[in-house]
Amino acid sequence: MVAEPKIVAFLCNWCAYAGADLAGVSRIGYPPNIRVIRVMCSGRVDPVFVIRAFEMGADGVLVGGCHPGTCHYVSGNLEAEKRMANTKKLLKLIGLGPERLRLEWISASEGGKFAQVVTEFTEDLRKIGPNLLKAQVNVKAPIPYTKQMISDAVKKTNVQYCLECGKCSGSCPISKVNDTYSPRRVVERSLLGFEEKVLSGTDIWTCLTCFLCSERCPSDVRFPEFVRACRRMAPMEVMEELCAHRGIPMALSRMMINPKIKQDRMGWLPEGAEISKRGDMLYFVGCIPYLDVVFEDFNLELLKIPKSVVKILNKVGIKPAMLSNEKCCGHDMLWTGDLENFEKLAKKNVADFKKTRATKLVTACPECYRTLKKDYAEVLGNFDFEVLHISELLSELVDKGELKFDGGLSTKVVYHDPCRLGRHMGVYEPPRKVITSIPGVGLLEMARNRENAICCGVSSFMSCNKYSKEVRMDRLREAKATGADLLVTTCPKCQIHWKCLTSEKPPISPEMVTMEMRDLSVLVAEAMH
Amino acid sequence: MKANQSVLVIGGGIAGIQASLDLANRGLKVYLVEKTPSIGGRMAQLDKTFPTMDCSICILAPKMIECFRQPNLTILTYSEVQEVSGSAGNFTVKILKKPRFINVEKCTGCGVCAQHCPVEVPNEFDMGIGVRKAIYVPFPQAVPLKYTIDEEHCLKCGLCQRMCQAEAVDLNQKPEVAHLNVDAIIVATGFELFDAQRRSEYGYGKYKNVLISLEFERLLSASGPTGGHLLRLSDGRIPKRIAFIQCVGSRSLKGGVSFCSSACCMYATKEAILIREHIPECEVYIFYNELKVFGKGYQDFVTGAQTHWGVKYIRALPGEVVQDSKTGDLTLWYEDTIENVTRSIEVDVVVLCPALIPRAANKEVGVILGLELDEHGFFKPKDPLFAPVDTNVLGVFICGYCQSPKDIPESVAEASAAAARAAEVIALSASKEVH
Amino acid sequence: MEHAEEEVPRIGVFICHCGINIGGVVNVPEVVKYAMTLPNVVYSEDNLYTCSSEGLGKIKEGIGKYNLNRVIVASCTPRTHEPLFRATCEEAGVNKYLFEMANIREHCSWAHMHEPDKATEKAKDIVRMAVAKARLLKPQDELEIEVTPSALVIGGGISGMTSALCLADQGFKVYLVEKEPELGGMLRHLHKLYPTMLNASEGLNKIVGGVKPNKNIEVWTSAVVKQVKGFIGNFDVSVQRGNGETANFRVGTIIVATGADVFEPVGMYGYKKYDNVITQFKLEQLLKDSQLKKPERVVMIQCTGAREEKGRTYCSRICCMEALKNALLVKELYPETDVYILFRDLQTYGKDYEDWHRMAQDRGVKFIKYNLEKPPEVVAGHDGKLTIDVYHALLGEQVQIESDLVILSTPLVQHEDVKELSQILKVPLGPDGFFFEAHVKLRPIDFATDGIYVCGTAHSPKNMAESVSQALGVASRAAIPMAVKRLRTEAITAMVDESLCSGCGTCVKICPYGAIEKDEKGVARVTAVVCKGCGTCGASCPEKAITMRHFTDEQVVAQALAALGRAVA
Repeated sequence: MVAEPKIVAFLCNWCAYAGADLAGVSRIGYPPNIRVIRVMCSGRVDPVFVIRAFEMGADGVLVGGCHPGTCHYVSGNLEAEKRMANTKKLLKLIGLGPERLRLEWISASEGGKFAQVVTEFTEDLRKIGPNLLKAQVNVKAPIPYTKQMISDAVKKTNVQYCLECGKCSGSCPISKVNDTYSPRRVVERSLLGFEEKVLSGTDIWTCLTCFLCSERCPSDVRFPEFVRACRRMAPMEVMEELCAHRGIPMALSRMMINPKIKQDRMGWLPEGAEISKRGDMLYFVGCIPYLDVVFEDFNLELLKIPKSVVKILNKVGIKPAMLSNEKCCGHDMLWTGDLENFEKLAKKNVADFKKTRATKLVTACPECYRTLKKDYAEVLGNFDFEVLHISELLSELVDKGELKFDGGLSTKVVYHDPCRLGRHMGVYEPPRKVITSIPGVGLLEMARNRENAICCGVSSFMSCNKYSKEVRMDRLREAKATGADLLVTTCPKCQIHWKCLTSEKPPISPEMVTMEMRDLSVLVAEAMH
Repeated sequence: MKANQSVLVIGGGIAGIQASLDLANRGLKVYLVEKTPSIGGRMAQLDKTFPTMDCSICILAPKMIECFRQPNLTILTYSEVQEVSGSAGNFTVKILKKPRFINVEKCTGCGVCAQHCPVEVPNEFDMGIGVRKAIYVPFPQAVPLKYTIDEEHCLKCGLCQRMCQAEAVDLNQKPEVAHLNVDAIIVATGFELFDAQRRSEYGYGKYKNVLISLEFERLLSASGPTGGHLLRLSDGRIPKRIAFIQCVGSRSLKGGVSFCSSACCMYATKEAILIREHIPECEVYIFYNELKVFGKGYQDFVTGAQTHWGVKYIRALPGEVVQDSKTGDLTLWYEDTIENVTRSIEVDVVVLCPALIPRAANKEVGVILGLELDEHGFFKPKDPLFAPVDTNVLGVFICGYCQSPKDIPESVAEASAAAARAAEVIALSASKEVH
Repeated sequence: MEHAEEEVPRIGVFICHCGINIGGVVNVPEVVKYAMTLPNVVYSEDNLYTCSSEGLGKIKEGIGKYNLNRVIVASCTPRTHEPLFRATCEEAGVNKYLFEMANIREHCSWAHMHEPDKATEKAKDIVRMAVAKARLLKPQDELEIEVTPSALVIGGGISGMTSALCLADQGFKVYLVEKEPELGGMLRHLHKLYPTMLNASEGLNKIVGGVKPNKNIEVWTSAVVKQVKGFIGNFDVSVQRGNGETANFRVGTIIVATGADVFEPVGMYGYKKYDNVITQFKLEQLLKDSQLKKPERVVMIQCTGAREEKGRTYCSRICCMEALKNALLVKELYPETDVYILFRDLQTYGKDYEDWHRMAQDRGVKFIKYNLEKPPEVVAGHDGKLTIDVYHALLGEQVQIESDLVILSTPLVQHEDVKELSQILKVPLGPDGFFFEAHVKLRPIDFATDGIYVCGTAHSPKNMAESVSQALGVASRAAIPMAVKRLRTEAITAMVDESLCSGCGTCVKICPYGAIEKDEKGVARVTAVVCKGCGTCGASCPEKAITMRHFTDEQVVAQALAALGRAVA
């Protein structure tokens, strides 16, 4: 027996909800599969409601609002229209299919329409079939912490050697703008037995995990790793409050754990691109297709990154293996303390890698790079793949003389070291070597470069607040002050965070600067044509 | 086995000097070997010494002159120990005397040669801030007060030779080898400074107004490159605010050494007081982590610095130093751990106190003498409790900083200790002879 | 002995720039010119550094060229270079007592850095005063004395025993005097010694085992030094035992190795009020005797009675390491016991001690920093426990800790009864109560009095390794005069003109060294070798029968008159 579809509906108070009422008053029947949530306006419907609903097992989501032009709040429904169009794209990518989401204009007098919509929708869903992601996934629940766990975390990250010198806070970019944030005090409280205060507070979520403090700490205290361990034991409510972009990326990642998931994420591949199901080298794309949708408004053309990578690989004779159902690497999960789900994702990815017979993994995202290279090995115990960041591969090609440029570009660029590539993994020179090998490209450096580079200001979509914005702006200003035309980086997230900042209306400060940004692979591909 | 009644002392700093004088003054023969052109070591580079604020060279010079005048003491400067064989009571030592290209018997130290020498190079004594000629004495109170030609930079123009009234220049001088027979050997090779460029967040080597302590000491010194006038190196301005950063490379599990250099809290206090003396309007901050005030008179010295001289102590190790490239002014970022707030402060000059580390050359000395070194490069005492100046080789003793971090009074006392042990070796071998 | 000839003084004045120490403030060339105008000055010059070998050469040259018979160097304090310049004069044939220094640095250029004109005037006055005295200087002869090749070591702890053994092995006889019935001092009460964690008793037995059979060491336990007369090379020492037994020996040198006591913090943090507040020293005993019952939570309070605003202002150096060592031992015995260390600044100096801090951190010892302004409070808690209330200086929060054992780390202090000894030896105590050395930097283990040395915790708080090092050091220092066997004494002594002496005996009573006696004629006579030249007798003689060589009444008065601008006729 096929289970009956479950529909979650968000109906606006003035129109759609009233329309549903009328259907009831008028005794117009419709299938009982729908569950209604009243909102004041369809514009209230956050895409994350939709995504979470699907994550929790809804088979269909209905959003009902006023007819355009009649919205009780003037234009809320138009916002809903934009958002739902965007969300549909996400649903397509994730493999659920855009049909499971319906946006309908139902006025207060259209009781009949309401019933009709629900009946049709339910029937369609019966045909489409159940949402196979339902009830398979548990959202992260905090582990009840023990003193032993804290003690283990302390020992593993050298926290007990802290000299209370304050060099961490003196280095921390957040501490500079939020003068009461002190990594040192978090450590001191943890050592003294005030763990509850630490775990229930916001300090552990404020950390950018950029590793600048660790880099300089004389006692080699790995504070970001300690913070990571604490986040695992911290209550979910704090995290949810501090999560930026409504937690959509993480929800999508969690959905990928489900074994039944079948994504539709290769649409960006250009005609003529040469890829295969099997190969020695696997190109791990990461969540760019999703981020491209979520941050559609920024016009970052993020999909150029994977397109450029494939182009470059093909041009140097590599036909990379690619996963049509590639799962998120799990970086954000790991860094927000969801170790259980991370492990699940990791195991799935590794199983998929093995199927391709690949021995090398290449990625254009530093977060994926670190996660695959370092954290998979640590958490899973063994990991037999060689992991390369695209800049390392390109740098090797430059050394061998195999990277050919037809003409080049004429521009001055400044390179920003992303935290995950730089301080986390020590890759500083390969991107620079690649940049300087492009004819016509001049490389400028910011004063704070390499191990002294400043984080773009956000990590794992956590704690994006006025302080992190100041940090971000400061870094952009620094980049602009070098006189470069382009800001080149090797991290799509950095680009997103900066664009998000500079897209704000009104701008956060009168001294806001903007800079044209480019990913390294896109720059190389441009110069190669 | 013949008892020579003589001792070799390697290293002409205060420890080597004290050990040599103790032994020579009691009638034993001493060979004091020093690889630079003059004895004196680090103390000669200091302006004043803590906690007494004695003028360093003023209290050192009499000892240096005493060495010079002591008939039992042979000073071999610009020389290095190459080989050692034998055992306690009878060591055979091969010394290489590097060519100074000056006949020391004839040289009067008048200095006419240097006046005419066309080559100017950075002066090691002034930590590279000042200059000297290719023909030079390292500092005015050098012992012996004889000139030396720096082979690496000499143009061989011969001008000095022509100007020297005493005909002391010998451009064809060859290295000389001396063979000595001694009963005991004392090693007193002192320390060098941790490379502060490794802590890139402080900008040493990049920013002109970030100095290391020994450079700053030379700026403070009357005999230094600015004649003791405290000026900024970037623009010659008189500084209005100076910050010291302690523990640069010390007490670190990475990016430095794990031990405490034991003298920096105090010498920073000393330099701070000197600044306040030179320029009463200049504010001075010392950024520290643990204030090491364990020595005799240390706490009172620091209390005086705070209450009488107005030196400000802030318990924080700064995260970074940032430069305003237009003005050369510096900004320090730090968390004041007592006030629990992160802030920045603008200063004119930053003085870094780098770790004082055993010399890299100790390894070679260790090989030549068969001595064990610990993981930091200090010579290992035979028993830290009962035989702190003995080593794993009978008849070879250590003293001063090369044994472990310490200040001048401790180096002096330890030098006497090494002298006592060397004298014991001689007494024992002499008594064996009698029997 | 007096020289009969009265020659006309020909004074040479050498004025030092001392780099810019003097020259940067005082107008030295002006002073040189001024000096030439003074009576009996026949030559004057300036030098960059008179103490350098170049400068010394100029003095000798000047003496020869201008036939100088009196030399003045106007530079730094005589306390640094007087011996050097005197020796230089001797080498050039001028008796060293015909040399005088004018202190125009410590007393002039350094003290008046911001008033160069006034400093220059003052420098001229100082030079004038020196000339006034120099004109009246007479040559003096020094006595040569023999040095007895034996040493007295006062104190039979690790320092005393180490220096005794070292001297004995060098062939000198040593009298080792210890006031307790056994040798060992503090070492008898200690448990384990860092950094090797050797059992103190093992170390003690080893060294006592070396001292006792040594033929050159004569051990006197249960004995104290009652009297010391004489001078370097010839100290006459009386020791006395508790039972009244006395002995006298003559020694050439004396080593003070009397150790220190542990401060009892009565009235602090509930000490003596609550049973479970004890000192670190007591904890050491408990650990040694295996008497420590399992505590639940230990709180150690550093700097108890040390680094105070007034009184014991010093840091006692060893307490932080003591605390770390004992904390680790407690953790070893009772791994579940919590240990807190409340500190102000952790004195983990040197090569190894930072590693101990890390070891303690590894074992979970908790460190809380407190400040002098807000010290912890210890009050009675529940069930016989104590509550320690401390303001955590690095968190800015008040923290309360319940503890069943509070350990107070207290400083080492000088023995109560040491004043007597310091008077017997006539050696000074510093402001912190410990013995005060000749020069903090370059003569750390000598006393100003020749022939007497100090080592170990009698000098200042230190640990075993540092005490042994200093003890070996004094063995070298003391060996020097004993090895050379003969010394020359200063000629600055008192002399009685028998024709003027009325036999009143004032000087005999007043001399702190017992250097004056009445002879068979009832006239005062000075024993020059014992006389230290202090001048107290000279100032008290009602008949003006006593002349203080090199500091005569005339010379002093001449300087005073010159200071006031009155030229001496």
